Amino acid sequence: MTKLRNVAIVGFAQLPIVARDEHRMSSEMLYPAVREALAQVGVERDAIDYQISASTDYMDGRPFGFVSALDVMGSWPPRQDLHLEMDGTFAAYYAWIRMQADECDTAIVCGHGKTSEGEPDRVLGLQLDPYYQAALGLDATSTAALQASAYMARTGATDADLAAIAARNRSAGTKNPDAQVREAASAAGLQMSPWAVEPLRRGYVPPIGESATCLVLAAEGKAEKLCDKPVWIHGVDHRTEMQTLGARDLSRSASARFAAGKACAMAGIAGASAVDLAELHATNPAAELILCEALGLDPKAAKPAINPSGGAICGDPIMSTGLIRLGEVFRQLSGRAKDRAVAGAKKAIAHGTQGHALQHNIVWVLGSERRWS
Amino acid sequence: MKRPVAVVGVGQTHHAARRADLSIPGLVREAVDRALADAGLEHDDIDAVVIGKAPDMLEGVAQPEQFLAGAVGAHMKPMLRVHTAGSVGASTAITACTHVASGLYDRVLTIAYEKQSEGNAMWALSPNMPFTTPLVAGAGGFFAPYCRAYIAKTGAPPHIGPMTAVCARENAARNEYAHLREPMTIEDVMNSPVLWEPIRYLETCPSSDGAIAMVIASGDLAKQGPRKPAWVKSAASYAEAMWVPGRDQVSPRAGKVAAKHVYDRAGITDPWNQIQTAEIYVPFAWFEAMWLENLGFAEVGEGWKKIDRGEQRFGAHLPINPSGGVLCTNPIGASGMLRLGEAALQVMGRAGAHQVEGVKNALGHAYGGGAQYFAMWIVSTEL
Amino acid sequence: MNEPPKEPVKYVETTLHLPYHYVAGDYRAVQLRAFKDKKIIGSRCSKTGKVFIPPILNSPESFAPAEEFVEVADRGVVTTFCVVNIPVIGRSLEIPYVAASVALDGADISIFALIQECKAEDVRMGMRVEAVWKPDGERQGSHEDILHFRPTGEPDAPQEFYINRL
Repeated sequence: MTKLRNVAIVGFAQLPIVARDEHRMSSEMLYPAVREALAQVGVERDAIDYQISASTDYMDGRPFGFVSALDVMGSWPPRQDLHLEMDGTFAAYYAWIRMQADECDTAIVCGHGKTSEGEPDRVLGLQLDPYYQAALGLDATSTAALQASAYMARTGATDADLAAIAARNRSAGTKNPDAQVREAASAAGLQMSPWAVEPLRRGYVPPIGESATCLVLAAEGKAEKLCDKPVWIHGVDHRTEMQTLGARDLSRSASARFAAGKACAMAGIAGASAVDLAELHATNPAAELILCEALGLDPKAAKPAINPSGGAICGDPIMSTGLIRLGEVFRQLSGRAKDRAVAGAKKAIAHGTQGHALQHNIVWVLGSERRWS
Repeated sequence: MKRPVAVVGVGQTHHAARRADLSIPGLVREAVDRALADAGLEHDDIDAVVIGKAPDMLEGVAQPEQFLAGAVGAHMKPMLRVHTAGSVGASTAITACTHVASGLYDRVLTIAYEKQSEGNAMWALSPNMPFTTPLVAGAGGFFAPYCRAYIAKTGAPPHIGPMTAVCARENAARNEYAHLREPMTIEDVMNSPVLWEPIRYLETCPSSDGAIAMVIASGDLAKQGPRKPAWVKSAASYAEAMWVPGRDQVSPRAGKVAAKHVYDRAGITDPWNQIQTAEIYVPFAWFEAMWLENLGFAEVGEGWKKIDRGEQRFGAHLPINPSGGVLCTNPIGASGMLRLGEAALQVMGRAGAHQVEGVKNALGHAYGGGAQYFAMWIVSTEL
Repeated sequence: MNEPPKEPVKYVETTLHLPYHYVAGDYRAVQLRAFKDKKIIGSRCSKTGKVFIPPILNSPESFAPAEEFVEVADRGVVTTFCVVNIPVIGRSLEIPYVAASVALDGADISIFALIQECKAEDVRMGMRVEAVWKPDGERQGSHEDILHFRPTGEPDAPQEFYINRL
């Protein structure tokens, strides 16, 4: 395996996920997140070489919605910049690529979007090809339900199994002050919630929520100056699949499996189960089970701990949800996870996803020590 | 660049007001298939796909790269989707270059497209900021006041814009892929309706359907052929905030900073004499004069004079937009990559009837937002 | 419909209706509420003292917070403009209309505004204008409380005044 440049997460700030921020516009939510992230690493904005933001016009409800983020990210004097119409975890990936190319040593990665202002389920339905699939009137919960059905049919997983996963996430969420849903719920109680789209119950999926996030990345040499305990990137890979729902095995995530294999190889670990915790971007329990299978994780085992933050079920601020998984891993491995800390954690996985039914997946492997020396 | 990076294949569609013969995947494939053929490669040779386009409202499909993943050969590959407004095609190509420069990817397919006939482009370009009276009608409505300011500052005569537009059409006549290719005269332009005073209809870019794709490869692979590559000497993508007091919107700072970045790294100290052709993003004719100054091809206040003297015409000292540019072809998401791709074609000696003679260095440039995003590269015949 | 179509299907037409409910935000709300009293409010950068309309959380220039609310005049100077002749779906403004960049007295950035009560060809850079408000009792604390701007008849501002405040 080639030796790569060691890059670390050195700071992370997010606004607590709320159902609707009645006091701030989208770009206004991002400003405090960027300020706090810079305060954490103790530098002025000019010290950061690169900025990249993540949001989507359709969530904002207007074309060019992302442009207003420039004004709150400190884009003066002009900055080297990019914007992706993808979750922030993919923006973090490109920032990492730029560091590997020696194009920058520090970067801020911002996720934003006021999910509450539109109808996210329908907007996500617009991602489907306009000729055949969108015409069916499918929304994101329906396609997730199709995937859940396929998984349950193949494996024999039951409603009770899904409820148990949801309950475990809910229990973890009580310890996360940034989560949106912070009340525990029993599996039995969740099983009584009505269907969102069968076989997914309302209790198994997150409510609409929004946040703004800012992750700070730094290369070796700078990272140590910005953070007492940088969290080093050991491996990362991402893969997409065809969108067409009938053209892939929805009960599995081939791209998550493939990406995990590559990321673990880069990280020099045998498999995902070698880590202490995994933050998975799963917006329903079936997705979590499918990802565990793809990554070779036992959802019932104590180690690795899965979603000690409560996961996406406890808060899904679209465009930031994947970035928050990285942020949570940073908090865990840098000793900032407080009540939800996984004791003695030194290695972790952060996963992110885009598209219907786990179409596009990214897997990060991170650790307390540098990967390459 | 950390390691040498080159363009080894370029393919574009025949751009038109409406490509009713193709679906969105079909449009994208026309460009992708041509780019791969040009590079002598198959999909299996490609390590990743970087795709860009402008607002998704232009076609009514959210994040369409997701449904296009199969069509562009991205199944089980990494794929990223870029969106930096009008400059997106260029910043997308630059993102692909960085992937290769990093050493982690050897060949990246980069694509930019727009099939805007399928939505209502004027509506999509006239965003209603909430809690504000909607006044801006289309991109021209935003930029026309700054063209007026340029004319006021420089005292440029009124025929410069029309002259630029006429020159662009002459160039497009030599470009089989361009959308608008019919010649016109300065009188034609002066007689055309005023859309946003001072910008006239025939000084305005069209609304086009089109796509372009390129294969970016590592230096070692590029040297293997089959053809002479275009070496990417330098590339940069910058952005600046909008509401900065006193912000110069006639010659934005981000444009100057990005130009300095690419010139310095390519060893260009005298752009007017060291660059033999430039494809620059001119959606409204007056921007050609403005960008000549912003890019350092002309002194401040003198850009229009170079046009007046015909020094940027095909066959003259430094042909600008030999392809016809955005004024003749504007699938918004693709336009930025068309500039960078056309610059590459010039350096590769593959620009056909619009090939400029003796090109060693070419500039490809694009801008977007409220003249906030600037993305550009210098490509060269030599590493 | 039991028969398949006789011709291959070439086009699919879809109309999208997506509702969006926007939050003005506390800062914007201050400005909107003040419109009821015919006041235009901006916010001042804590570092440079520059004033932004509408009020924003931070100065994009200095990156410092801009938390102090400040009133600016409802009159100013046209820095640049264009005459719009294109209709847009869903807009009721009669064309042609003049869309101008107006530097209000006391503000450090310009706003976009509609200029009326004069012929489009009479509008010029440097022209002094004032806001025309909806009458008392009709103002609701919305951006529509300002109907448009009109020339005041005062002498134009010199080019040096407005050319860098576009």
